[in-house]
Amino acid sequence: MSQVPEHIRIVEEAFSKYKKFVYVGKKLLRWDAVSKVTGRVPIFTADFVSRYRDALYVYSIRAKYAHARIKKLDISEVSRYPGVVKVITAKDIPGVNDVGYVVPDQPLIVDRKVRYIGDVLALVVARDYYIAREAAERIHVEYEKLPVITNPLDVIDLETLNEKKHALIRDERGSDVVAKYKIRRGDVERGFREADVIVENEYRTQFQEHAYLEPEAAIAIPESDGGVTVIVTTQCPFEARRAIARVLGLPQGLVRVIAPLMGGGFGGKEDVGNVIGAKAALAAYLTGRSTIIIYTREESFISHSKRHPMIAIYRHGAKRDGTLVAVEAKIILDTGAYASLGPFVAWRATVHSVGPYRVPNAKVDTVAVYTNNVYAGAFRGFGNPQVHFAVERQMDLLAEELGMDPVDLRFKNILREGDETVHGQLLSKDLGVGLEEALRRAVNLSNWYEKRRKYSLHFKGSVRKGIGVAILWHGNSIGVEAADYSSVSLIVNSDGTITFRTGLTDFGQGALWGLVLIASEILGVPPSYFIVERADTSAVPDSGPTVASRTTVMGGAATVNAAYKLRQRLNEVASHILGCPPSDVEIRAPDVFCRSNPSRRTSWRNVIEGAHWLGIPLQEFGYYRAPSASWDEDTGQGSPYITYTFGAVIAEVTIDVETGEVTVDRIYTVYDVGKVINKEGVEHQAESGAIQGLGYALMEELIHDAEGKVLNANLSTYYIPTAADAPEIIYDWVESGYKLGPFGAKGLGEPSLVGIAAAIANAVSYALGAKINELPITPEKIYLTLKKLGKLRNDV
Amino acid sequence: MVLIFRFNVYRPKSLDDALEILDREAPEVIPIAGGTDVLVLVREGVIRFKGLIDLWPLRRELSFVKREDGFIRIGALTTINELGRSFLVNDVRYLGFHDLIHSFATPHIRNLATVGGNIATAHPLSDVAILLLTLNAEVKLMSVKGERWVPLENLYVGKRVLRKEPNELITEVRFREKPLNSSTSLLKFDRRKAHIMGYVVVATYAHMDHEVIKDVAIAFDSVGKPYPGRAKLVEEFLKGKSLTDNVLSRAVKEVLIKEMTRISDYRATSDYRLYLSGILLKRSLLKVKERIRSSLG
Amino acid sequence: MCDEEYPSVKIKLRVDGKHYEVYVKPYERLVDVLRYRLGIVSVKEGCGRGECGSCVVLMNGELVPSCLILAVRANGSEITTVAGLAPEGKIHAVQKALLDVHAIQCGFCIPGVALAIKWLLDKNPNPSDEEIKEVLSGHYCRCGGYLRFIKAAKIASKYIREGRIYFDIKEVIS
Repeated sequence: MSQVPEHIRIVEEAFSKYKKFVYVGKKLLRWDAVSKVTGRVPIFTADFVSRYRDALYVYSIRAKYAHARIKKLDISEVSRYPGVVKVITAKDIPGVNDVGYVVPDQPLIVDRKVRYIGDVLALVVARDYYIAREAAERIHVEYEKLPVITNPLDVIDLETLNEKKHALIRDERGSDVVAKYKIRRGDVERGFREADVIVENEYRTQFQEHAYLEPEAAIAIPESDGGVTVIVTTQCPFEARRAIARVLGLPQGLVRVIAPLMGGGFGGKEDVGNVIGAKAALAAYLTGRSTIIIYTREESFISHSKRHPMIAIYRHGAKRDGTLVAVEAKIILDTGAYASLGPFVAWRATVHSVGPYRVPNAKVDTVAVYTNNVYAGAFRGFGNPQVHFAVERQMDLLAEELGMDPVDLRFKNILREGDETVHGQLLSKDLGVGLEEALRRAVNLSNWYEKRRKYSLHFKGSVRKGIGVAILWHGNSIGVEAADYSSVSLIVNSDGTITFRTGLTDFGQGALWGLVLIASEILGVPPSYFIVERADTSAVPDSGPTVASRTTVMGGAATVNAAYKLRQRLNEVASHILGCPPSDVEIRAPDVFCRSNPSRRTSWRNVIEGAHWLGIPLQEFGYYRAPSASWDEDTGQGSPYITYTFGAVIAEVTIDVETGEVTVDRIYTVYDVGKVINKEGVEHQAESGAIQGLGYALMEELIHDAEGKVLNANLSTYYIPTAADAPEIIYDWVESGYKLGPFGAKGLGEPSLVGIAAAIANAVSYALGAKINELPITPEKIYLTLKKLGKLRNDV
Repeated sequence: MVLIFRFNVYRPKSLDDALEILDREAPEVIPIAGGTDVLVLVREGVIRFKGLIDLWPLRRELSFVKREDGFIRIGALTTINELGRSFLVNDVRYLGFHDLIHSFATPHIRNLATVGGNIATAHPLSDVAILLLTLNAEVKLMSVKGERWVPLENLYVGKRVLRKEPNELITEVRFREKPLNSSTSLLKFDRRKAHIMGYVVVATYAHMDHEVIKDVAIAFDSVGKPYPGRAKLVEEFLKGKSLTDNVLSRAVKEVLIKEMTRISDYRATSDYRLYLSGILLKRSLLKVKERIRSSLG
Repeated sequence: MCDEEYPSVKIKLRVDGKHYEVYVKPYERLVDVLRYRLGIVSVKEGCGRGECGSCVVLMNGELVPSCLILAVRANGSEITTVAGLAPEGKIHAVQKALLDVHAIQCGFCIPGVALAIKWLLDKNPNPSDEEIKEVLSGHYCRCGGYLRFIKAAKIASKYIREGRIYFDIKEVIS
C-alpha cells in the first residue's frame, strides 16, 4: 500500500479544510505596483547598468547569411581597434559551446556554419557600444553560401510526413527532423467509414514575436572565488545557471544568477537568458571585468525564439447527430535553426491536438523540423494556440456541414467530469472539470443564440457582423517534459515581516502575488507583511522554470506546504504563550488569540519573540512534487498532465467588407481556474491573453525573405495591438476545484491566450460566410477571400 | 545601447549660420529636424554621415503657420502638433490637416516630426507631402547663394532623392488660399487602428459648386513612382461631374486602374493596394463632399 | 576614429526638479544621458526608434520620445519623468488612478503611460474616450493594460478637476 507523500497530503488537506477566505480570492494591489508607478528605483535588469561604471560592453557580431559554411574568420583588425579589450570566438570558450535548452544543438558562438541570420560569429568586448560596433565592421569572414530553407515543406512532405531530400541544416546529424509525436487511439479508418459527414482542411499559422517591451539584458560580475554573478532577464534562473556554468566549464555553485522583475516575457525569456547570460558571463570571465549587454530591439527581433508556425491537415468525421467519431491530424511545426523548446512545444501540441472533446478514434502525427528561419521556442500557449485554431475551425466547419449551431455541436462532444480524454486519461472530479459550466456561462454572458441569429441578417452597406466561439483545454505545468517540482522558502524576520523566496520569476503575470496570498491565508498575516525577493540562485531553492502556467499550481502547492508547516510551529509557540491547544490558535496578525476564548490574546511580535526563546525555528522550506505524468510514445496514451485549465471564449466582430478591416468589438472569456486565488491576477490574464491573442489573430507575423532575413524587425512594421485596437473584454470564472492545487487552483498564464484567435477566426468566418483557415487574418486576406468567392461588391 | 554610429553635431546660431555650415560641410553633414526619420534611418543602416546640423535652434524663425497675401505659409520646422494647434484645423477648406494630424504616427512623435522634415524624407508614406500636393504647394529652398521656390510636384526625383542641392535647406512651404466651397481630406488604411504608416495613403482637394466638381486634386503615396504623386487622369475625368456612385465607380474602374501602378512587397500585394486605392479614393472624395455640404449649413 | 574627434559638450538640464551639469558626446541621446550618465531609471528604453513610447519625457511641457532627442538639444531644458510628477512621499493623481484600477502588470510601459495621461490632461482636462485612446496609441502595452489605462485617465481627470492632485503614498500602501 503506497503512502501519500506528505507534500501532497498537506495540499489535499488545505483543499478540503479551507472554505472561507480572508485574502485568497480578493483583489489586492500587487506588491510591486507602487514602486513601478513611482519609477524611482531600479527594477529591470538594464536599470542597474549605471551602477557599473567601469563595465565593458559586449556586442554580438552576427551572420551575414542565413545558411553558410564559415571558411575563414579573421578578427585581427577587430581586436586591434582602439577601445576593444577582447574579441571572443568559439575557440575561446572554456567549457562547452552550447546553450540549447532541450537538445544540445545550439552553439553560443558558431564556428563551422551559420544557420540563421541571428547566429553569432564573435563577441566584441569594448569600452562602449559605439566602439564595439565600429570595430565589428572590421571583421573579415569568408563564407561558402548554402541553400537557404525558409519553407518547412522543403524539408518534409505534408501528406506523408517523410523528410525530403534537401541541403541539410543539421548536416552533422543527418536529418532536419527534431521531434515526432503521435496519438493512436481506436481505429480511425473504421471511424471515418462510420461517419455521416467528413470535413478536411489545411490550416496555417505564422511566426509570432513576443515583443516584450523590455529588451533582453545581462550584467556579469566576476567574483573573487573565480566564479561569476549574472543579473539577467531570464524566466528560468536555474536553467540559465546550468547553461552558463556549462559554457564556462565551472561548477554550478560558482555561477550565481539573479533574475530581476522583467518587463514582459511570455516564454521569450525562457531560454534567451541562457544565451545573453552566457555572453555576458563569458566576457566577464575572460576579461576579469564587469560586463554589460543589452540587445537593441532589432537584435531582439532577429535573435530570440518565436512562436512555431504550423501547417496542419485536419480531418474530422461525425455522425449526423454531431457525435465525433474520428479525428486525424498531420501537424508540422517549423522550429527554425535551433530546437530551443521545440520538442516540448511539439509534444504539447500533440497532447491537445484534438481539442477538449471525447474522441473515440484518433490518429495524430506531429513533426517539428529545422529550417533557416529564426528559431522557434516557448511562447504563451506553447503549441496549443496553433492546434486550437485548427481544431476549433474544424468544429465550426463540421457544424456548418451538419446544419448545427457550433455551440450545440460542442456541448454534444465536450469532455465532462468522468469522461476519458483522447489519451485515455480519466477526468475525475479531483482534477476539476468545469468546461461545460464555462461554455454555458459564456453562452449566457454573450447572448450567443440571439446574436447568432441577428448577425446572420446584418448587412448594412459595407458592414457585416459575426460572433464565434472556441473552447479550450490547457494542461497545467510541464507534464512528462521533466520531473515536476517546485519550492519556496518562508522566513519570518525578527521584526515580524516575512521574507518570501522562490526561484519562480515575474515578468508581469503577478502569479507570485497569488503565492503570497496563499501564505497570508494559511499563516493569518496580511500580505503587506511579506517581502518578495527576486529570484537569486544563491538564495532561493530551485523551483523549476517559470513556464507552462505552473507558478500558481506548483509554486502555490509548495507555498501551501511551507506555510502549513510554519503555521504548525507558530501555533505551537502561541499555544505555549496563551495556554490553549495549538489547534485552537487563531492568528489574525497583529493579533493572536484563542478561538474558543478570544480574551486570551497576545501579539504577532510576541509570538515571534517567543519562538526565538523556545528554540523553535521560523524558517520553512516548502517543496512540492507533482504526481508523475505518463505518456506512451507509440500510442499517445497515458495521463500527460496533472490537470487541465478549461475555458470558453466568444468573440464578436464587425467587418468592413470593402477594406477588409476587422474590428473585434467584444471578447467574452470564461476560464475554469479551479479556484481564483489572486483576483487582480486572473483579471489581468484574461485581458492580457485576449489582446495578445487578438494580435496573433489579426495582425502579427514575423516575415522572412527567401534569404532568411527578417523583413520587419521593428515595432512599426511588426504590428502589435494598440489601445485603439483593444476590444471590450467581459469575463467570468468557474471554480471547479483541482484537489491537488493550492485551495483548488489551476494555472491561467497560457490558457488566457489559447482560444482567442480561434474564436475570432470563427466569428470572422461567420460574418463573411467564408472559410478562414490561415492566420493572421489581415485585411488583404479578407479581400482575397471575398474576391475568390465572387463576393466583392461590384461598384468598386 | 544603440545602433547609432558616432558623429558630431553643429548647433547653428541663426539660419544664415546653418546655411553656411551646410554649404561648407555638405554632403558629409546633413540637417536634422525632429530626428524621427534621420535617427531611425541610421539604425537601419540606410544613411551614414560625419555630422548633423541641428535645426532645432532655428525653431523661432522657422516654426509658423500664417496667412499672407493670399497664401498660407508654413515654416519647415513647424511640428505636426503645432499644425494641429493652428487655424488650419478650424478652416473647413483645410480639414485635411486635421485628418493628417490625427493619423500621423503617434502623439509624442507629432511633437518632434516637422513639416519640412516629412517633406524632405521623399518617401511615399510622407503624409505631409501627399496632402500638400493636392494644394499645389511650393517649397522654399534656401542656401548661401539665395533662395528659390520649387513646386512640390517637381521636388521628388526618386525614392529618398530630392531635386535639391546638398547645400540647400527647405525652410518653408506655401500654397494659395483655396476658394470657399472647397475642402480637403486625407485617408490611410492599415491592419490596425492606430499608429499606422498605411498600405495606401490618399489626399483629395475639391472645389464644388452645387455638387459639381469645379476643381479637384488627388494625391497618393504612390501613383507609380516611389514617392507621392498626383492622379491627374482621374482629376481630369472628375472635373465637371457630380460625385455620384456611377461617377466614382468609373473613376476607379476605368481611370485610376489605368493611371496607377502599384508594387507588391511583404506588406501587401499590388493587387490589394490598387483595389484599396480605389476604395479610399471614393471615401476621401465623399468626405470632402460632405465637408463642403456641411459648411454651407 | 578616436574619442577626440567627437569632443564632449557640457549641458545643463533640470530633471524632476534637480539641476544637473554633465558632459555628453554629440551622438548621445537624451535617454542615454538620463539612464546611463545620470542613473535616472524612471525613463525606460524599449526600441530606440520612438515607436514604443517607453522613453517619453515631458520636455519643456511637451511629450517627446527621449530616444530620438540628441542630448545636446536638451541643454537648458526642463525635463519631467514619472518620478517627478509629485513631491517626495506623494504620488500624482495620474499615478493614484493607475493604482486604483490595478493597471500595473510588468510595469515597463507605465512611466510612459503616466506621462502621456498627464500631458493629455494638462491640455484637455476632460477628454473623451477617443481622445484618451489617441494619446495612448503611442504607448504599447504588451501585457494588455489598455482598458485600465483608459479608465485611469478618466479617474485622474476627475481627481484633478476636484482639486485632488497629490496623494500620500502611505494612503496607498496598506
